[in-house]
Amino acid sequence: MTQPSTVLSIFAMFLHTTFGESGCTSADGDGTLGDDEPDNFDIDCFSQLDIKDPFSSLTCNFTELPPHNTNYTLSLCTKEDNKYMCNNMKKQEDAYFLQFTDILSNRDLCVFSETKRRVCRSLVVTHIVKPEVPFAINITYQREANEYLIRYRTPHSGKKYLEGKLMHQTAYRQKEGTWKTIESPHDHVRLLGQNLENNASYEVKVRSQPNGKFFKGTWSEWSTSKSFRTAREQHPTESYSSVIMIILSILGFMLCIVMIALIVIFWENRIKPAVWPNLPDHKKTLEKLCKKPKNNFDISFNPESFGYVHIHKVDGIQAKAELENFLQPSIAPETSLPEKFRKGSDLKMIPAMTDKSNLNLSVTYGGLWPAEAPHRLLGTSQFAVTEGNCSSSTYEVCHGNSVPLHNSGGSNFSSAPPLDPSGQPSPEPPDDDTVSQMLPSSEMRSPNNEEAYVTMSSFYKIQ
Amino acid sequence: MFHAFFRSTLPVLPLLLVLSPVNSSSCAMENKTTEIHVKYENILIHDINELVNISAQNRDRCCRNKNHKNIKVFFCNDTQEIESLQSMACNMLRFFHKQRISKAFRWKAAFVSCGTLQVLKCKCEGHRKEKVCPHVNVFGKEDTETGEQSRKKCNQEVCELKENISSLRSCWNKFEKIISR
Repeated sequence: MTQPSTVLSIFAMFLHTTFGESGCTSADGDGTLGDDEPDNFDIDCFSQLDIKDPFSSLTCNFTELPPHNTNYTLSLCTKEDNKYMCNNMKKQEDAYFLQFTDILSNRDLCVFSETKRRVCRSLVVTHIVKPEVPFAINITYQREANEYLIRYRTPHSGKKYLEGKLMHQTAYRQKEGTWKTIESPHDHVRLLGQNLENNASYEVKVRSQPNGKFFKGTWSEWSTSKSFRTAREQHPTESYSSVIMIILSILGFMLCIVMIALIVIFWENRIKPAVWPNLPDHKKTLEKLCKKPKNNFDISFNPESFGYVHIHKVDGIQAKAELENFLQPSIAPETSLPEKFRKGSDLKMIPAMTDKSNLNLSVTYGGLWPAEAPHRLLGTSQFAVTEGNCSSSTYEVCHGNSVPLHNSGGSNFSSAPPLDPSGQPSPEPPDDDTVSQMLPSSEMRSPNNEEAYVTMSSFYKIQ
Repeated sequence: MFHAFFRSTLPVLPLLLVLSPVNSSSCAMENKTTEIHVKYENILIHDINELVNISAQNRDRCCRNKNHKNIKVFFCNDTQEIESLQSMACNMLRFFHKQRISKAFRWKAAFVSCGTLQVLKCKCEGHRKEKVCPHVNVFGKEDTETGEQSRKKCNQEVCELKENISSLRSCWNKFEKIISR
């Protein structure tokens, strides 16, 4: 009984020491497998996360080339319960490449030689990250701030792991000059114009690196360079003059629009009549000259239509203007008579026509002479109708007969002519000195009811 | 005298073997909440969000049917968040071989389960993790079918997986708030 228990206890103690901490051990204690020979291989690896969803990649190459006559195999292994699950890396030229999905597990990189010697090294995939190259560099000059805004894009934008976890480095230099760098966690940087030379050519490139908070690694490759030219030196006066020019051009444009609008609005009423005056129309002008009688003014050559009018029979009327005829014989004989005046006893008053007459005539009824008549007659040298006036300077009213007007040469102006019993001055016989320039009889009113034509030529001669 | 010594100590050793933590399903990261937090925040949370989006693409109406309501519900117990997550993750590994679930869906679910167990340093009963996770980490999505083919009919297993995913995400949110304080 004691023998089985002893064996069992020893076995139990042996099992206890072997279970628990699983995995291989080695003399150096660093977790590497195989024998204890030192590792002569120097391998450089980097990982690229989420390069093609859901895969990440691992790329390794020998920094010290192994002997050419020896083939080696690189494997990425995962240790689980004393078991190694390894995936061999594919050889691509001088590098070894592998795609995988799990970036959480602790990995080992193992090198297998032809002699079946295996050397492993622990590998933390998230600590050897090499980001992808940035691209699409865009440079914009902001004139107001005198700054150059440099924007770029990274393939990790929108991906799972490295979005917002990168640090970007922007390098710039003048042509063939020394590089200067700026680091930023954002997707853009600004270069101050005052730090750059004016009107010079510059070159820009960008690269990325994990920010080191969780993901660590190396810089990516440089992006393709992009060149740009800085602006010329801008004087403050230039900026002012450009602003003034802009303002003036805007004002000029607005003024043109206002002028065009005013021309369109006032063309018909004001501009066109001033620029293109209307030629007078003879007919219209004549109509203006010939005043139309009032609506309530009866015009008719038919005496019967004036039956309601009180007609005062007048034997004769002596117009004091006849004195002028004797005094001034050069008076034009072609004075026309207004057609409104008629021979005989009919007398019509045309107040409108007499208003414009320059002849200060005084007509007496019944041989009475107004006191002021002689002065006025003597003082005036005109008895003819002026231009544009239809009124006649003289008229005659006789006993049915037209009697030429006349003035006796030695007649006393102050005396009244003898009166007929009718109270009307009797017609005196015409004197020899009677001005032959009495009003032309041809133009006196004839008993004829024919219309008296007033012609423009008559107006002209009267003038 | 020696007989008495061995008689008394001998049963202890087998007892120690039985009680040794070799085959224990407990997780090894219970005291390393900082490391759990950074791994969850930088890696695992993105995969969980992708899985939730894929789960949302699967029809949800059929799971509201009364026939599919008898689904096992997982709880995220207070002060036992790690154990709850372990239980949920190990259960999700069951669906990796379910052919009635689209390959992309069950692959992603297994990927998240393996990531959860890896972060928490947990194991599953029956060596389920060792049986499934190596296959998940190797071939990824390259063997999945196209998007249209991946949407299969709604069935009990799909509903269970969707419920499992929802519970896992909720428990991770709860646990993350605790460990980030």
